[in-house]
Amino acid sequence: MAPAIELTGITKRFPGVVANDNINLTVEKGEIHAICGENGAGKSTLMKILYGMQPPDEGTMKVHGDVVEFGSPTDAIDRGIGMVHQHFMLADQLTVLENVILGAEPTAAGGVIKFSEAEAHLARVAEDYGLTIDPDDMVETLEVGERQRVEIIKVLYRGAEILILDEPTAVLVPQEVEALFENMRELKEGGATIIFIDHKLDEVLEISDSITVLRHGKTVASMPNDGVTAHDLAELMVGSELPTPETAESTVTERVGLDISAVTVVDDDRRPVIENISLRIHEGEILGIAGVEGNGQSELVDAIIGTAAVTAGSISLQGLDITNLSVRKRREAGIGYVPEDRHHEGLMLDAPLWENAALGHQTQAPYGSRWLMNRSGMRSQTETIKDEFDVRTPNIDVSAHALSGGNQQKLIIGRELTADPSLLIAAHPTRGIDVGAQAAVWEQIRDARAAGLATLLISADLDELIGLSDSIVVMLRGRLVARLQPDEVTPRDLGAYMTGAATQETAEVH
Amino acid sequence: MKALNDLPAWIRWPLYALAGIMLLTLVQTFFSDTERLTQVSTSREMLRWAVPIFLAGLGGLFSERAGVVNIGLEGMLILGMWFGAWGSINYGPWIGLLIGVLGGALGGLLHAVATVTFNVDHIISGVAINILAPAITRYLSDELWASPTTSPSTETPDKIDLLFLGGGNIGEWESPDLLLSIAEREWWFISDVSQLLRGLVTNVHWVSIMALALVPVTTWLIWRTRFGLRLRIAGENPGAGATQGIDIIRYKYLGVIISGGLAGLGGAFISTELSGLFQGGNSAGRGFIGLAALIFGNWRPGGVLVGALLFGYVFGLDLKDLDGTASHALLLVNTVILAGVGAWALTKRRTTDAILAGLLGVGAFVWWISAETVPDWWSNILPYVLVLLVLVFFSQRLRMPAALGQPFRKGET
Repeated sequence: MAPAIELTGITKRFPGVVANDNINLTVEKGEIHAICGENGAGKSTLMKILYGMQPPDEGTMKVHGDVVEFGSPTDAIDRGIGMVHQHFMLADQLTVLENVILGAEPTAAGGVIKFSEAEAHLARVAEDYGLTIDPDDMVETLEVGERQRVEIIKVLYRGAEILILDEPTAVLVPQEVEALFENMRELKEGGATIIFIDHKLDEVLEISDSITVLRHGKTVASMPNDGVTAHDLAELMVGSELPTPETAESTVTERVGLDISAVTVVDDDRRPVIENISLRIHEGEILGIAGVEGNGQSELVDAIIGTAAVTAGSISLQGLDITNLSVRKRREAGIGYVPEDRHHEGLMLDAPLWENAALGHQTQAPYGSRWLMNRSGMRSQTETIKDEFDVRTPNIDVSAHALSGGNQQKLIIGRELTADPSLLIAAHPTRGIDVGAQAAVWEQIRDARAAGLATLLISADLDELIGLSDSIVVMLRGRLVARLQPDEVTPRDLGAYMTGAATQETAEVH
Repeated sequence: MKALNDLPAWIRWPLYALAGIMLLTLVQTFFSDTERLTQVSTSREMLRWAVPIFLAGLGGLFSERAGVVNIGLEGMLILGMWFGAWGSINYGPWIGLLIGVLGGALGGLLHAVATVTFNVDHIISGVAINILAPAITRYLSDELWASPTTSPSTETPDKIDLLFLGGGNIGEWESPDLLLSIAEREWWFISDVSQLLRGLVTNVHWVSIMALALVPVTTWLIWRTRFGLRLRIAGENPGAGATQGIDIIRYKYLGVIISGGLAGLGGAFISTELSGLFQGGNSAGRGFIGLAALIFGNWRPGGVLVGALLFGYVFGLDLKDLDGTASHALLLVNTVILAGVGAWALTKRRTTDAILAGLLGVGAFVWWISAETVPDWWSNILPYVLVLLVLVFFSQRLRMPAALGQPFRKGET
C-alpha cells in the first residue's frame, strides 16, 4: 500500500534563507507521525507546502501514491488533507456550526444554507471520531481545548483523512493535552493519518508512531518511535545538548523589591478580575506566575505598570508607594517591562531600531530629557544594546519588523535592562522565538537576577517557569491559589493547580 | 425585564414603540401645548426622513459586516441623488432610481478599490469620497444643467395608500379607512397611536415600502445564506475564511458595492421623491446619520431601522415645528428616558453611568422648565447626541464586526 504522504527532495527558498533544503518525508497511512525541530527548523514551511499555502521550489509530493501539485489549500482539501493551525482560525461571533461549515456550506437553490443538513453531517463526523461539541454555541464562549476540537472537526467535516496539527499543544495545559491525545488516538482508530508538529519531546514520545527530526531546513533523522529517548531527539534537534533554563544558586536577598498588598482590580462591569492579591518579590529573586491565560495575569501586570486602575490595595517599589503614579512615573521609578505581545505593545514595527530602543524611556537620559529627544544619544545607546545583547541586525536603521522574533525580543530586553531598572516584568519572554535566542534570553534574565533585580516572570512554558523561578505562584480566576517551590514541583502538578484540579490549603503569600 | 427579553423581537419592538408613544402622549397631554408629537404629518415626515437614513445605514451594514468602515456613505448618497435625478429626468422615475443605485454603487466600487485592493485607510478613503462626490456632482450639474447646484424638476412616481389601513383603492373600489376612523374618535392614546400609524400607511412612496421590506430580506440574506455567512467572515476573521478557500477580496468588494448601491437608492429617493429635483446640500448629512443609525442598531437590520425611525422622528417633528414648541416638549421626553437609563444603570450597580444619566436628565429638565422653545440646531444635533448616549451607556452591548477596519492582505493570515 502506498504511503499516505511521500515528499521527496522538497526545497523552498526565501530571500536570503533556505527554509527547506531537500527534505524527504514519508508518512504511512493510519499513523501518528511527529515532526520535531526547533523554531526556524523549517517545520511550518514544510507544512504550508503540504497544505498548498506555498508552492515548493523543487521536489515532488505524492498523496496515496499519486503525484500532486497544490495551488491553494482548496486543492489540498480536495485530496483529503486538512490542517489545524497553531493560531485558531475561528470567528468568535459565529456559532460552532457556522465556523465548521464555512467554505463548504451545503446549500439549496439561491445559496440558502441547509442548516439542518449541515448539523446532521457535523453530528455524524463528531460521532465517528468521538468528539463532542454543541454546534449552536458561540465560539467566544468556548475554552481553548474546545476551540481546538472545533478546528479538528472543521477539518474532518471536509472529509480530510490526513490531518496536520501545527503545534497543537502549545496553547493547552497538561490536562487538556491529555484530552487532545485521547482524541488523536480515537481519530487514528477511525482511520485518520495525523502529522503532528511539536517540539516538546515528552509529548512527541508519548503520542507518535514515527518521528522525523528537522534541523536548519534539513531532514536529520526519520525513525519509528521505538526505543528512542528524549535525549536522543534533543541532540538530533539542536545538534548538541539542549540548553535548559536552570538557574544557579540562590541570589535572593532580604530587601523587598516589589510589594503588592491586597490589590484588587475590577473590569468595566465592576467585577473583580484580580482579587486581593498580595505578593512580595525580593531583590535578586525571580517570582514565576503560572496560570492558564486569562486568569488575571495580564491584569496584574497592568496594575503594576499602571495601565489599569487599582481598586483596592497598594503597590510599592523599593519602599516607594507607586499605587497612584502615572505609567511614566512608574517607569522612571525603575520598572522594566517585557510585554506579552511584542508586536502590539513592545515595538513600533515600522519604526527604526533606534527609535524603538527609546520606547518607554524617552524622557530619560541618554534618549532624551523631559521635552526633547536626543538623537545621537538614542543612536549610540541603541548601538550599545545591539552589541551587548547580541541583536543581530545589519544596522540600527532597519525597521523593527525586519528582525526575527528572537532578535526583536533581545532588543526589548536590552532596552529594559540597560535602563537600570529595579524591577523587571517579563511576560512570556521566550514565546515564539528560536532555541538559540531562548537561551540568550534566559541568560539575560539570570544575569539581571544576579545583579539584584526583582523579577516577575509570567510564562506558559512550565519548564521555563520551573527552571528559572526562585518561587512560583499559581493564579486562577484572578486569585493566587498556590505557592510552590520550583525544585519540588513538576509541570503536571502545576497544571493541576492551574486548572483548579488541585488546591492548596492556604495561598497566603509572603 | 427578563420576561421582556424572552419575547421574540417582532413582539418586543412594537411593545417598545407603544411605550414610546405612551410617553409622547403623556407629555403632550399634560405638559405641553403642542399636538405635533403624535400627528399624522409628524410620522409621515418621520418616514420620509428615515428612509434615506435607513438605506444609507443598511448600506453601511453590508460594508461593515464585510469589515470595511464606510464613512463615505454620505458621498455615495450624494452620487445617488445626482444620478437619480439625471436618470429620472431622462428616463422616468423608475429607471431614475435604478441609475441612482448604480451611481452610488460606483462610489462604493471606488471605496472598495481604495480600501480592499490598495489597503488605503478606510476613513481616509471614505472622507475622500465625501469630498469628491459633491465636487463631481457640482461639475456635472454645471455641464448638463447650466447650474452648479440645481437640476430641473424630476419625475416622481405615484404614492399610494395602503388597503384597509389607509383607505387605499383597488380599481374603482375604495377600501375602508380603518385608522382614520379610529383617529377620528379622539380616544386618548389609542387615537394617537392610529394617527402616527396613518402617517406610515397613507401617501406612501413605493421606495419606503421597499426599504421596509429590506429589513427581513437583509436579515435572511446575512444569517441564512451562504453569501451572508461569507460576508460576515470577511468582517469577523478574514484569515479564517481565506484558509477555507473563500475569496475574501470578492466578498469585501460585493459588500462595499452593495453598500454604495443602497446609499445611492437613498440619495435617488431624496432627489426624485422628496425634493423633486437635485439640489446640492439636500443630502443634509443623512449618510452620516445612517452610519450613526448603524451603530445605534448594533449592526443589525432591524436595529438600523429603529435608529433611522428615531432620528427621522426628531427631524420630521422639527420640520413643521416653526415655533420650536414640539422640539421643546421632546426635552421632557429626554428627561424621562435619561431617568430610566439612570435607574437601569443603578440596578446594574454602574454608579458612574447612573450619575451621568442623572446629571444629563436634570440638565434636560432644567432646560425644559426654563425655556419656552428650543433653537433649531437642537433637533439637528439630537441624532448625534442619541448615538453618543448609546455609546456611553450601552457600549458593552454593541458588537461590531471583529475585524472591522483592519487591512486584509491575501496570503497573510
